[in-house]
Amino acid sequence: MLVRKLTWPLAFLMALALVFTLFPVFWIVMTAIKPPTDWNAAPAIWIPHEPTLVNFRTLFDPNAIREYGVGGVSQAATASVLGSIFASVTATFFSILIGLFAAIGLSRYATMSKATPLVILSGRMFPPAAIAVPFVIIFSATNVIDTYSGLIAIYVAVTLPFSTWMLKSFVDDLPREIEEAAMIDGRSRLMAHLTVTIPLIRGGLFATTMLIFILNWSEFMFALVLSYTNVTTIPVQLAKYVTATAGTLYGVQAALAVLAMLPLVIGGFMIQSHLARGMTFGAVKR
Amino acid sequence: MTSSADAALTRLSRDGQTETEDRMLGAHAPARPGAPMRGNLGLARFFAVPGQIVSVLVLVMPLLVALYMSFTDWTPTRGSLLDASFVGFENYSELLIYDSRFLEAVTRTVLISVVCLAFEFTLGLGLAVLFLREFRGKAILFSAFLTPMMILPVVVGYTFWMLFQSNGPINQVIALVAGEGAMPEWFRSAPLAIATVIVTEVWHWTPLFFLILLSGLNAVPENPVRAAVILGASPRQVFWRVVLPMLKPVIIVAFVIRGMEVIKLFDEVFMLTRGGPGTATETISLYIYKLAFNDFQLAYGAAAAFLVLIGTLVIINFMLLPVRDQLLEARR
Repeated sequence: MLVRKLTWPLAFLMALALVFTLFPVFWIVMTAIKPPTDWNAAPAIWIPHEPTLVNFRTLFDPNAIREYGVGGVSQAATASVLGSIFASVTATFFSILIGLFAAIGLSRYATMSKATPLVILSGRMFPPAAIAVPFVIIFSATNVIDTYSGLIAIYVAVTLPFSTWMLKSFVDDLPREIEEAAMIDGRSRLMAHLTVTIPLIRGGLFATTMLIFILNWSEFMFALVLSYTNVTTIPVQLAKYVTATAGTLYGVQAALAVLAMLPLVIGGFMIQSHLARGMTFGAVKR
Repeated sequence: MTSSADAALTRLSRDGQTETEDRMLGAHAPARPGAPMRGNLGLARFFAVPGQIVSVLVLVMPLLVALYMSFTDWTPTRGSLLDASFVGFENYSELLIYDSRFLEAVTRTVLISVVCLAFEFTLGLGLAVLFLREFRGKAILFSAFLTPMMILPVVVGYTFWMLFQSNGPINQVIALVAGEGAMPEWFRSAPLAIATVIVTEVWHWTPLFFLILLSGLNAVPENPVRAAVILGASPRQVFWRVVLPMLKPVIIVAFVIRGMEVIKLFDEVFMLTRGGPGTATETISLYIYKLAFNDFQLAYGAAAAFLVLIGTLVIINFMLLPVRDQLLEARR
């Protein structure tokens, strides 16, 4: 393309876009460090005069906020943070493990029917509320309702198309000659894949793992309908805080929101160059 | 410009389109195209089976249960699903003919989706075009503009719920510009509540369009562009007549990927408005959720979901027609 410089009017447009992009993030972070007196002030306070971490402490110790003369939070968020970590990490591990096998199989051995991609895509089109309905019934009948194993099983199944397809696109990038050379050296097919294919795609493997983790961590609806007392995740807890307190505990809610988005923003930037590929099932390469 | 030059431009864009497709949609030449590695059926099965088991157990089975359920009048209070009486297409006809709340939710979701996609595409393309220029700090600005899509939907919904509060920052700015009296109650009026949903969704997902379209623009081959310039085309003509047509497959991919997601819109609306005021912002997913988990009309909700699935499949299939061969398949 013809390279031209950014002119001043265009630079102004871009600056405007940047303000719109970053303002909501700025607002939620500022709210998370506001002391209770600033939460609901009118006119709203943009930057707190006395920033505090009390909101974050309150998430783990419901009474911490009382030092400001405000009633405590009914429920600590500790369980939901641990629950989110446990469910996301475990589900990501299995999704990547199964997806890696499927990816190698699809890339190296299978003759896929033309309809396969559409079948996979259609799985993504079905409204999750409707998949949730039979899950609730089946899980109730088999007693895995309100357990982490049930939630993890769903997460693995829902993210499997993403992990399989993204990993397959990385395996596709690898010339077969490399594996074949290893086989000529006397290694079995399985060993050739384990010792040659997998190490060579480790960059892609990391990016895919990150993306699947992001998807699991963000999931809301399944966690909402499948959790009662034992199972809870951060998004569900955030929704509970908002309904239970009718919006009076802004600071604490915002603190939980910041805590929820922090790992995703960091992880997202780490795999930035692979995001396009991941979000389009490997259709867009760079 | 003469008519022959005009025709030449069109030809340039057509030739370039295949090249962009090759670069973007991953039709890179593998070492030996087509032929799968030979032999060892057992190993192929070993690789494929775990994924298949999980998919059948956790996706296919529930779908079949839901499909059967959608032809019954079952509710949880009536005991086992097997005892429920078979009612044929009654749920479906009820939905399509009498359930105005369902039909409204469908219309509303489609409208919101179309408006969101239009904004996301326009803004994303505009920003991507700006990123073709040279300027300092490009890498860090690129990351900054991607931030929204990395935030989880529930948090995005919550954040905008805060921003649109009657004493929130958005109303504060409006008061500053237009006076105190102009401050709206965003969540009390139907059109304004829908506007908040659209603003939230557009903010959240414009970065994805930006990302995909910028990848596409960077993959546009240089030769047709150079040739067009030599032919005397203005920068504007080069963009609209040569570059944009070459980008078509990429644009379709972006629309399909986002279209599939926006039609399921739930998390953000749940946090923002819960479908209110009344049912003014109720999307399909939210309606099915309420049917199933507030009113326990599980069978009816399942029928609604299958109608939505069929509709989405048909639309996506039509959208995919022009790029089916490039996208996902034929890439081995």
